[in-house]
Amino acid sequence: MKSLIQKYSLSAGKVNRRHVQTFLVLLTLSMLVLGAGAPGMSGGVGGF
Amino acid sequence: MILVLAIAAGWLTGLVRSWIVRKPYRVPELSRTWLVLVAVAPQLLIFQIPYTAGWFSDTWASAVLVISQLLLLGFVWFNRDLVGFRILGLGLILNLLVIILNGGLMPLAPETAQALYPEVSPSVWQIGSRPGMSKNILLLYEDTHLAFLSDSILLPAWFPWTRALSPGDLLIVLGVFWLLAVESPAKPNPQELSPG
Repeated sequence: MKSLIQKYSLSAGKVNRRHVQTFLVLLTLSMLVLGAGAPGMSGGVGGF
Repeated sequence: MILVLAIAAGWLTGLVRSWIVRKPYRVPELSRTWLVLVAVAPQLLIFQIPYTAGWFSDTWASAVLVISQLLLLGFVWFNRDLVGFRILGLGLILNLLVIILNGGLMPLAPETAQALYPEVSPSVWQIGSRPGMSKNILLLYEDTHLAFLSDSILLPAWFPWTRALSPGDLLIVLGVFWLLAVESPAKPNPQELSPG
């Protein structure tokens, strides 16, 4: 159990600024394409 | 969903290209990202979340869609140094143009709607109405301004998500893909550029 925690701690330690930046950029771009694009019937609400 | 798929495809392609050229993958730094949040949050309330979508009339929906797209255009402008954003911006402008010229929502022909949902009775598609809580308005193709820029491109039936796309949507997909697949791995390391 202890080694498992150590393993995950090490993995978390490898998450650096570049990873966070990549995540934020991908998140921003996802929101951007959702907002900018208007595929037909994209709402999916109200039965469609 | 189809648009978000372009991000995943672009990112994976970029990672493979980075691995091939043996350079670390670096996404570009974006400017004024808060504009995207401000622009998209109202859209989520009106077009995506069923609970809140019913609170807004079609007039509000069209006004919010246009304002939101203008804010996104501002974000694209601040990041226009990247080629991907120029392509994406062109798609955004084409979508915005056809939306504005047709009353604030993206036109969709009843024939296209029927092709998307063949199980729905044709009588459901009322001209001038907004189907469900989508960004679309049902208009006859011949009555639509710049109809070729509307949601008129149908994805093949074998595709998991059957959707109609506009030429602007295709440019948005291409721009995002270019940004993540082509521009990101080729971006030089700032440490390599600095003297010494």
